[in-house]
Amino acid sequence: MIILGTQGPNTFLPEVNARSGANILECYQCGKCVSTCPVSQYMDFPPREIMQMVKLGLKNETMMANSTWFCLTCSACSGRCPREIEIPAVMEAIRHIAIEENYINDSTKVKEIRTFHKIFLDMIKRYGRNYELRMMAEFNIRTRNLFKDMHLAPKALLKGKIPLGVKSVKSAKAIQRMYKLAEKLEKKHQ
Amino acid sequence: MARVGVFVCFCGANIADYVDVPQVVEEAKRIRDVRFAIDYKYMCSDPGQQQIRDAIAQHRLTSIVVAACSPRMHEKTFRKALSDAGMNPYLLEVANIREHSSWVHQKDKKAATEKACDLIRMAVAKSIANEQLHEISVPVTKRALVIGGGIAGIQAALDIADARIPVVLVEKSPSIGGKMAQLDETFPTLDCSQCILTPKMVDVASHPYIELIPYAEVLELQGFVGNYKVKIKKKASYVNFKTCTGCGACWQKCPVKVPNEYNMGIDKRKAIYTPFPQAVPNKPVIDAEHCTMLLKGKCGICAKVCLPGAIDYKMEDEIIEREIGAVVVATGYDMWDPKPYEEYGVGRFKDIITSLEFERMVSANGPTNGLPLRPSDGKVPKNVVFIKCIGSRDEAKGIEYCSKICCMYTTKHTILLHHKVHDSHAYVFYMDIRAAGKGYEEFVKKAQVDTGATYLRGRVSKIYKKGDKLMVRGEDAQIGQVVEVEADLVVLATAVIAPKDNPDLARLLGISYDKYGYLSEAHPKLRPVETAKAGIFLAGCTQAPKDIPETVAQASACAAKVCGLFAGDTMKKDPMVSTINNEYCSGCQNCVTVCPYGAIVTDEVPMGHGSKELRTVAKINEGVCQGCGSCVAICRSMAINLAGFTDPQLINEIVSI
Repeated sequence: MIILGTQGPNTFLPEVNARSGANILECYQCGKCVSTCPVSQYMDFPPREIMQMVKLGLKNETMMANSTWFCLTCSACSGRCPREIEIPAVMEAIRHIAIEENYINDSTKVKEIRTFHKIFLDMIKRYGRNYELRMMAEFNIRTRNLFKDMHLAPKALLKGKIPLGVKSVKSAKAIQRMYKLAEKLEKKHQ
Repeated sequence: MARVGVFVCFCGANIADYVDVPQVVEEAKRIRDVRFAIDYKYMCSDPGQQQIRDAIAQHRLTSIVVAACSPRMHEKTFRKALSDAGMNPYLLEVANIREHSSWVHQKDKKAATEKACDLIRMAVAKSIANEQLHEISVPVTKRALVIGGGIAGIQAALDIADARIPVVLVEKSPSIGGKMAQLDETFPTLDCSQCILTPKMVDVASHPYIELIPYAEVLELQGFVGNYKVKIKKKASYVNFKTCTGCGACWQKCPVKVPNEYNMGIDKRKAIYTPFPQAVPNKPVIDAEHCTMLLKGKCGICAKVCLPGAIDYKMEDEIIEREIGAVVVATGYDMWDPKPYEEYGVGRFKDIITSLEFERMVSANGPTNGLPLRPSDGKVPKNVVFIKCIGSRDEAKGIEYCSKICCMYTTKHTILLHHKVHDSHAYVFYMDIRAAGKGYEEFVKKAQVDTGATYLRGRVSKIYKKGDKLMVRGEDAQIGQVVEVEADLVVLATAVIAPKDNPDLARLLGISYDKYGYLSEAHPKLRPVETAKAGIFLAGCTQAPKDIPETVAQASACAAKVCGLFAGDTMKKDPMVSTINNEYCSGCQNCVTVCPYGAIVTDEVPMGHGSKELRTVAKINEGVCQGCGSCVAICRSMAINLAGFTDPQLINEIVSI
């Protein structure tokens, strides 16, 4: 059971609002986002429920939800939201808070997603772009599932979806500098 | 020799799809006395009516039968077509082959066609015995009675009086103003209720065409539209309003304290009191149930302090009679008592209050100077839970219907709470948010977004006490989980119900009411302000729950109806009324008892021609008679005939098939 009104003012809602730039109070729970979202059926709390949970100040429940990690940031929801709420920004804000404050949902799925994010960022840092072959290999190694999706490889190779080599972008150095700057800012912020 | 014309309507496909219209016309032509028969796609349209008019002239017709829809729909239309052709309009008969045949026999075209032919045969037979009838003129008393002095009654009275028609406004309590005078601010604009109402109240009191009778009740209504007589009981106020200056010395000195109805019993008033400072008329009355002078003959302080000597303990109820032509009923509504909600601890927990109590507390002129306070300890609440649909949409404990205004006034309350107590938080348990109205949805958004009220979708299952707080448990269906809110104060949005006196009033006025006690309109869509009784109109919540804008609109509609009724010096009325043949009348007076409209009285006539001895016979008041025929059926000596439905007409109908 959820107890309301005992914790003092709801600080979670203004925090999410400030970080996302959205106003979650605008949400009137129509559910259009849920039926729009391509991955909502895999979420434990679909976007509409996340909105309500933030409204009620249920921080722990929101942080532990897998929905924010499943979100593809495709913006289909916000494109159709009748109250024009930037839902992907809200999801993003919640992910940030979860990382900063160490809320760990240790389900395999969420772990994999977080690993994926990490490897992807590494690729960009290194090459200034994605290197699909290495990305896939690294992901399979790190998640200890070497032959995952291997049956798709021949077809993808033939279609040229997985180039065998990679060329760094011209401004790879600049991108690396950006990364360093961001890391510095993050430390300062903490 | 009768010459009948028959006009059969296709009604588009409504009749033609299930009745073989051309065949019906052929059958009609074969009926004796029918000189002309024709069909048309829409007989009610202008070309259709033109066919009737032309045929009357060409074929010298003596009566007309239109086989079409129900006479309730187009009888008037076709009567007018007859008049236009110079024929008496009551020589028309309508054979209802739509509602009585095509619509109800859609599966059997042959049978439907046969039935249509039979109906036409009957109508033709009846029409042959039709007589020329003429509209009845009834004189009109141009004065209106308005019952109830809330916003509905005030608006109706002002609008009628502005048309220079005298109005008698009767109010049950010592002041007009009604429920609206108890409100702080009004949704969705948040303008102050008093500021928009009290000027109207003053207008009523000062209007040269309005006679305001406060502290009074309607006892009896007799007569008929345009010619009613009303008896009003003016309750003894024990204060002579003519000499009283309204100085207030009496109620300041009065030692008897009584719970104050205006403030929902939150504070006390005296036994001599004005309901509220802005009351109209602003003169006190003595509450006879509590005044020690009137109960025990001791005290008399108010009389001692009253300088003009306006106090009169010997005053008695007064009966006032007025002649009026129309009545507007605007008796308003009551709030439902939430006592059956035992699982909420209603009655056990002091900090559960009703919305109207909350409204009084947040009112600028309320008992707590505009601050909501917990009744238990007088502290300002931080967490306030509002629960909607208390009694509404609850067949087990309350009533089935939606009270319509609670969604909006609760929204208003969350905003008012935020205005009065800045660090408070409002939680609203609701089933639906019904915000249909100009600016209403925006108002709800304002409460949710700007003032941050938390809406939880679900009915509360129970409330229990924890320390000095109340724990309110309900489901939040939005996340599918049970929630408990720790509340300092719980406000119940109680249902709107019909005033408990409505059924008595309805019987007294001779109008009908529904199972909830709301007075019934003549037609839910097309005649929403009229009652089934001519000259009696309904305004405001006495007909069904409604908000202030709707109430005011309906009150003005009533005024328009009254003005329309009074537009001429006489009123026209259908001639379908009963007449009594004195030769046959035995004076048994069975008809007097059976008449639902009180249209029959007794009369004295000479025993015989030139005789001085008198005997009693029944006499029908044409103005009141509605032509129902009850008297005709009960009359043993067959002395009564109903014009338009005479015995020869009906017998003709029966023998024709």
